[in-house]
Amino acid sequence: MAAFETELLALLPRLRRFARSLTHDGADADDLCQVTIEKALMARNAWQAGTRLDSWMYRIMRNAWIDTARARSRAAETFVAEEAGLGVGGAGNAEARVALNEVDAAMRTLPDEQREAVALVLVEGLAYKEAAEILDIPMGTLTSRLVRGRQALMARLGEAA
Amino acid sequence: MTIEPELLMAYADDALDPLTAKRVERAIAADPALAEDVARHRRLKAKLGAAYAPVADEPVPDRLAAMLTSNVVQMPRHQPRPSRVSAAWRSAAAMAACLVVGVLVGRGVQQEGPVTATDHGLYAAGSLARALDDQASGAKGPVRIAVSFRAEDNGFCRVFQSTEADGIACRDPKGWSLRRTMPGSTPGTGSGYVQAGSSDAELMAAAQDMMADMPLDAAGEKKAIAGHWRTR
Repeated sequence: MAAFETELLALLPRLRRFARSLTHDGADADDLCQVTIEKALMARNAWQAGTRLDSWMYRIMRNAWIDTARARSRAAETFVAEEAGLGVGGAGNAEARVALNEVDAAMRTLPDEQREAVALVLVEGLAYKEAAEILDIPMGTLTSRLVRGRQALMARLGEAA
Repeated sequence: MTIEPELLMAYADDALDPLTAKRVERAIAADPALAEDVARHRRLKAKLGAAYAPVADEPVPDRLAAMLTSNVVQMPRHQPRPSRVSAAWRSAAAMAACLVVGVLVGRGVQQEGPVTATDHGLYAAGSLARALDDQASGAKGPVRIAVSFRAEDNGFCRVFQSTEADGIACRDPKGWSLRRTMPGSTPGTGSGYVQAGSSDAELMAAAQDMMADMPLDAAGEKKAIAGHWRTR
């Protein structure tokens, strides 16, 4: 297996996590991963060895998700959410599933531009600068989206506890 | 002293340079409400991190891992000189095209078929041509466009999948010329995403060889659709 595939394979757990925080749905997340991998394999010649593959993959995934979401709204498809909790922690504990469902539901209420900023910084743990580069926006735009997204999530998730 | 919400957030994330951080610390010392805001930011970060952590800890589904461990092994590296197509390949492609056309013609003539044969080769027609003209990548429908890209000759090409045929079509002044065709892999119904199969991998490999750069993103594709895929 070539180095590209090996490196990509090692990134899959993180990519699945990012997909989950973007799509807030287990089945959609894995479909998004599949599309992202397809695109990455096709565009592999455009990736420069020595640069960060994770940033490159996050960017492809984020753009693929925008495409998917747009296509969906264009088709005015009635979106039927998967059964809550499906796809995560099949064998995991109920408590973790409940926590994830609660956060998924809160993330769903955010505008896309805030959700992707939150996902990259708070879930994937990227630096502001890295996230801004992936999203192709200035730092100031990133931080203002991030702060609004966080305030909405805090309100939603009942910050008391 | 006022501290902007962005600054306070960046402090909570340890994203400030030491001097600015000191300034924020002084403000926090003077205002317990700011300290509480910082704590809220940190609790939210911890909560989100913990909630999504199990996803990264799960085993990766086989169908995703298989895309990297099986199919792609046969994917050819980018050819430095992709222009010359061997005679053997040409005849193989012609045979494959014949098979596909046979299948398409065999489906009956009550409606316009998706392929038409011309003196210049096979071109998309009917619903396939319309989808290639107007449909965005990833949109659901009888025809699914997997990806659009610019070929090395600078023309636009699109990888399509449908129940009748899969293939790669490239735009020229006469229409959508079918460069690769193979029997369709897309089921009539389903999630709208195509399972990675052998025809999929072959088409991807072929597209990869033809591609000059990254696939078009949504904005680029929209522009190309609006411009009727003309290049200039």
